[in-house]
Amino acid sequence: MNRNEAALSVSGLRRAFPMGRGVPDLVAVDDVSFELAPGGSLGVVGESGSGKSTVARMLVGLERPDSGEIRVAGRTRGVRERGRAARLRRAREIQLVFQNPLESLDRRLTAAQCLHHVLRLHGAERAEADRRALELLEQVGLGAREAEARPHRLSGGQRQRLAIARALAAGPSVLVLDEAVSALDVSVQAQILRLLARIREESGVSLVFVSHDLAVVGQVTDEVLVMYRGRAVEHGPTRRVLREPEHPYTRMLASSVPGPGWDPAEVVRLRAEFAATAQA
Amino acid sequence: MTAQSPTGAVTMGAGIRDVRRNGGRGALWVSSGFLVAVVLAALFAPVVAPADPNAIDFGNIWAPPGADHWLGTDQMGRDLLSRVVHGARESLLGPLALLVLASVLGVAMGTLAAWRRGWVDVLLARVTDVMYAFPGLLFVVLVIAVFGSGMTTAVIALGLAFTPIIAKFTRSVALAECSKPYIDAYRVQGVSGLVICLRYLIPNMAPALLGYLVVLFGEGLMSLATLSFLGFGAQPPSSEWGLMVQEGQSALIQGVLWPALVPGAAIALVVVAFNIVGVRVADRLNSRR
Repeated sequence: MNRNEAALSVSGLRRAFPMGRGVPDLVAVDDVSFELAPGGSLGVVGESGSGKSTVARMLVGLERPDSGEIRVAGRTRGVRERGRAARLRRAREIQLVFQNPLESLDRRLTAAQCLHHVLRLHGAERAEADRRALELLEQVGLGAREAEARPHRLSGGQRQRLAIARALAAGPSVLVLDEAVSALDVSVQAQILRLLARIREESGVSLVFVSHDLAVVGQVTDEVLVMYRGRAVEHGPTRRVLREPEHPYTRMLASSVPGPGWDPAEVVRLRAEFAATAQA
Repeated sequence: MTAQSPTGAVTMGAGIRDVRRNGGRGALWVSSGFLVAVVLAALFAPVVAPADPNAIDFGNIWAPPGADHWLGTDQMGRDLLSRVVHGARESLLGPLALLVLASVLGVAMGTLAAWRRGWVDVLLARVTDVMYAFPGLLFVVLVIAVFGSGMTTAVIALGLAFTPIIAKFTRSVALAECSKPYIDAYRVQGVSGLVICLRYLIPNMAPALLGYLVVLFGEGLMSLATLSFLGFGAQPPSSEWGLMVQEGQSALIQGVLWPALVPGAAIALVVVAFNIVGVRVADRLNSRR
């Protein structure tokens, strides 16, 4: 692999949903492009309906882009690829961690079985899979007791740890997290974010962190992409974008985060100002 | 969850439905205990039955219940208790076989429709609609007219008649299940559609499906008994329960109750017991999620 090659490179991604006869299509994602360095971390932020989740689903292949290209380590991900080898290779390129950990885990499988299945699918021998499953569980901070538990016996944080371990089990080069900590309470959020930072450091996996929460994105990403109504309105180093936002929408988002010196009236003023510019 | 029989043989009154829903724990235990007893009696019929079910004794026709014949005898002097016990084999195996056939076809169709959506779903919906709209009993009689009567034909015909019901139910369960992100997660992992359906989707639907199938078992037993009663199913000298009721008709005209009442009560009790157990099992398994 070329050293300077991006781990993930997205260009001109577009997806529209038909809304029925006589109604114009809803353009969920419009001309979104970005690059992610190996081991890098990118935040995709925006409010509900900004198209950020559609981007995440297109990255892993759950949604098909109308146009645009997704390249992982220089290889274009095909729109339609058939066959077992192609399917497994795609899975090893990008993995996804879902928002709701309980719903995204199979309730019939224990934590160890859940990982075992993924490892076996991706070519591990039985004994090797058992060993790796325990290793992965340990890596995300789950012990032997949790290994034998089914999802409903785990806490919210433990479930999301398991979901992260499951995504890592395929050995992906890019990990996409779609609102992965949004359903967790703040102290658990912080633990999961620390875990993700450590995993990124240890394994060199690149992260795409999709979230509505600027505070969370600020903690774990190098770069941030701000989406509004399907378009990328601002893109730059996280530190700069959060401190000195250029786009009025980003300014409004940044000022909406509660913190010291937070002024709700200012948010209202900025939102009105932004709405005025958006209409123009 | 009320199962609709394709032959329309079963109409459930509000009273029975109330018992099924609200009867205490006792109803479930009594019903399952009764069913276990019936199954055991069927399995060990030669041991359990006091006499040979086909031993004719013209000197002892339509005997009332007594010490020699606990439930009396039929028009050929055969022991009714022995016949009902032996008849349990055919009466229970028949519905089991037709449900196996109908669930293999129905679950496959329903799962495929929910999984593929699009034209596959539309096609299957049309096929099941046509099969649904066509009167089940008429369909079964038609099949029997073509292939001849007998238990095997009746089971296959009824199996086909039950298929759209199971397909429809499976489709609705599968649609709800497919919308859950864990199915998406399997796709992202690179698992093939066929493996997701067979290894993960269907096992996750199993609790809902099993409860429904137990209720349908009662309906199947009833429908098969109806066919035998009409002369399309089991043939003499079998002691299948529907056939026994039919043979008991001549006794009824003479004012002798037992030969028709004994198999009739057997059918009724087993069907009600399966309904109670089926609904309870479905409720319990669903609430465990």
